[in-house]
Amino acid sequence: MAKNSAQWQQPPRFPTTHYVDSSIYTDQQIFEEERQKIFNKTWYIACHESEIPNAFDYRTFQHPGGTPLIIVRGEDMKVRAFYNICPHRGNTLLYDPSGNAKRITCIFHAWSFDTQGNCTDISREEQGYQKRFCKADAALREVKSEAGYGGFIWVNVDDNCVPLKTFVGDAMGELDPFIGMPMEVFHYHRAIVDTNFKLWHDTNSEFYHDYMHYFNRVTGMMQPGYFDRKCVGYDNGHVLVGSMEIKYDAYDGSKERGVGWPGLAQGGWILIDLFPGLTYNLRTSVLRMDTMIPLSPNKVMIEYRGLGLKSDTATERAQRIFDHNTIWGPFGRNLHEDLLGVHGQGRAMRPGTDSRWVLQGREENSTIHDEVGMRHYYAEWSRLMGRKSFDPYGDRRVSAAA
Amino acid sequence: MDRTAIQDMVYQTCLLLDDKNFNAFLDLCDDEFRYSIATHSPEIRKDMIWLDHDKKGMKNLFTQLPRHNSDHSPITRHATVYKVDVSGDGNEASVVSALQVYKTDLDGGSTALFAVGKYLDTVRIEGGKPRLVKRVVKLDTRMLGIGYHIPF
Repeated sequence: MAKNSAQWQQPPRFPTTHYVDSSIYTDQQIFEEERQKIFNKTWYIACHESEIPNAFDYRTFQHPGGTPLIIVRGEDMKVRAFYNICPHRGNTLLYDPSGNAKRITCIFHAWSFDTQGNCTDISREEQGYQKRFCKADAALREVKSEAGYGGFIWVNVDDNCVPLKTFVGDAMGELDPFIGMPMEVFHYHRAIVDTNFKLWHDTNSEFYHDYMHYFNRVTGMMQPGYFDRKCVGYDNGHVLVGSMEIKYDAYDGSKERGVGWPGLAQGGWILIDLFPGLTYNLRTSVLRMDTMIPLSPNKVMIEYRGLGLKSDTATERAQRIFDHNTIWGPFGRNLHEDLLGVHGQGRAMRPGTDSRWVLQGREENSTIHDEVGMRHYYAEWSRLMGRKSFDPYGDRRVSAAA
Repeated sequence: MDRTAIQDMVYQTCLLLDDKNFNAFLDLCDDEFRYSIATHSPEIRKDMIWLDHDKKGMKNLFTQLPRHNSDHSPITRHATVYKVDVSGDGNEASVVSALQVYKTDLDGGSTALFAVGKYLDTVRIEGGKPRLVKRVVKLDTRMLGIGYHIPF
């Protein structure tokens, strides 16, 4: 029987850990708090070391907390990260997504900085500032950065943050043996979608939505071993979705992957979601990396990278690119469906639609259609936000359990 | 080689793809047909291939489309043939066309520019008729929102 208004508002008959209030996906105040309490406190991937291989190479990065950053490799080959903000008049220092600059010079008034963040030139310094202000007062703001976990460059804008190793903990244990060799990014694209960033992460952490993917149904869900995949939660909100063997030749026009990945079983697949918005996805021959940059409560920019091995021959690389494009490219079979799914959620949950609850109540012994991954994520979200995901404003009377 | 016939063929490919008449589109293509979508990423400083298929691969892709969940917003391809360079023997031509792709909301409420780029075509004349041997869709637009299942 269909529900009336009161029944629609009624909390689901689940434990409060098994659903969330959909306003956590739409509320502007909650979004601002997420930037401050989560994104500005946690480690985040800015780029991959292969994107800045040479001295003075740089990448610009829109940090999910809101601050624009520069990631630059110095003459000493050390990678550092700085605010992409001139300390003089607050202008953008570097505009291009990548480049090579021995000096970072602001186009506005030509103040110049080296790759260690030191100010090397203030135009007409003495005439304007006499002895009241000098280059030593005008250094760039550096933020913490580390390379790790597959050669990615991680940043943290919190000077008092825990070490990267502590943040990641044991979550990468299953993937670590496969990402130790030098890798290279061969694919990069972005998508801006009208949806909340958490909804994308939700999609990456449950495979119940394989019903949406024809490719995954025939190559995975209908194959032996699919329901053996286990979700494992780790400290700090991270989740592993274990491996299985994909039968690629079950999809007409596809074929078994010939290139593979060193050490990974033929057709193997390991996925790790790192809180609050990163996903490592090693699937047979390609490592995909998703990085989410929330732009507003109902808008997220997602960066997609595809990586192969630096040692690839031309033939191997071409095969990895083909494999990647088949399912994960902008014209691939799967990615578009995932994006359509979360686009639909964003559309249905925008403010004023009377969307109410999002269920995360499936329990299947932590296997692939269990929604334990999302529950684990929102436990950490609630801890950091000081809000309950099922009752973010503390004003709902909810049943303790069904 | 008849330049007008080549132009007509390029425009015909747009109309057929807009209509999702994929078989008729493939009928315009040579058996050696190769289709790719390419772009350049300044972020990673690399040229990228986003799709690459021979004629069989394209046929298979078109066959699989109904089995996937797709954005049904219609797209409209607008091409303008800029340049036709005919080979010395007159049997082959390189054709450069500007391409704009528009997307219209499902409710018809608005139409927006979805992507711009170029068709870089290789055309062969057989029996007086142009046949598409190769098409590279070189995209300038690299952010396609939720993407699209149907090639441009």
